[in-house]
Amino acid sequence: MTSTLRTVLSIVIILYFFIVVKLLKRKSLALKYTLLWLLMGIVMTVFVIFPDLLALIGHAVGILDGMNALFTASIGFSFCILMALTSIVSKQSDQIKKLIQNNALLEKRIRELENLEDTQIHKE
Amino acid sequence: MKILVIIPAYNEEKSIVNVIEKLKKDYPLADYIVINDCSTDDTLTVMKEHQYNYLDLPINLGIGGGVQSGYRYAYENHYDIAIQIDGDGQHDTGYLSRVIEPLQNNEADIVIGSRFIDKQGFQSSVMRRIGIRFLSDLIYLCCGTRVHDATSGFRGVNRTYIEAYARQYPQDYPEPEAIVESSLQGARIMEVPVVMKERENGSSSIHAWRSVYYMIKVSLAIILCRLSNKRRRKQ
Repeated sequence: MTSTLRTVLSIVIILYFFIVVKLLKRKSLALKYTLLWLLMGIVMTVFVIFPDLLALIGHAVGILDGMNALFTASIGFSFCILMALTSIVSKQSDQIKKLIQNNALLEKRIRELENLEDTQIHKE
Repeated sequence: MKILVIIPAYNEEKSIVNVIEKLKKDYPLADYIVINDCSTDDTLTVMKEHQYNYLDLPINLGIGGGVQSGYRYAYENHYDIAIQIDGDGQHDTGYLSRVIEPLQNNEADIVIGSRFIDKQGFQSSVMRRIGIRFLSDLIYLCCGTRVHDATSGFRGVNRTYIEAYARQYPQDYPEPEAIVESSLQGARIMEVPVVMKERENGSSSIHAWRSVYYMIKVSLAIILCRLSNKRRRKQ
């Protein structure tokens, strides 16, 4: 890793943390869904500070170029985040389904109660 | 025994009145509930005008989520038997007693109305029959239960499976998946011959261009169901 690249990456990572923390403070991101993002940022920081570590890991799995190891790592992280998102979406769609059903069941009960009330008023 | 007929309806303004009036005549002992799955036509207005018993889903859930709200209604209102029929008039309510009797006599937990036993009435197109045959074989392979009309939406369940379906029911294209899941949980599944008509109005929920997606999705769902239920069965 050249020193230029390290500088650029450092700036990018600082920006990245800045944005994530800002969004967290504004509550646009829920912390429990952001943990993976933060973890990714931390690992990236470690790699920028210790570029040899990245090369070492890369060599261990057969990637000769440190840069390629970096790309592979980022793609891996992206996949993890996407998988987490899919799992969140699936869970939420199930929750929404339950709510829609509850809503329909409650709406029917309200309708019945209102009808009952109407007939009682008429009787009086 | 309290019996509920669940009728999922999506844009069935033309046929739903006939279905319900015929049901009332054919099987007056049963209650019914229409699930209006957020229809874009006047199905809801028709329900209100005739003062039918209905649930109105505020967002379209598709057949799985729609039918499940019917099972939840059956569960909350303490029904002993729940039958589901389509809202488009292709299921003849004259055959309701055939589906209900085995449940009443406790001969089965789930009864499926099949058009392929007596081979009478509307038999669907050749391609669909091949598809259904394939699903039937796959279901047999996965859980050892032979159901000829695996995609039939004319079916009834007892209290045990009302409860099970209220808790968890497959989505998207649920019929074959529900068979496998229930069978692996130890359900006694029975098939009775019924006659189906070609749909009166509207179009089937399985469109031509979706067939491939349907087959892949359902096959995978069946296999997945088998894999995730393996352990439970052994216990």
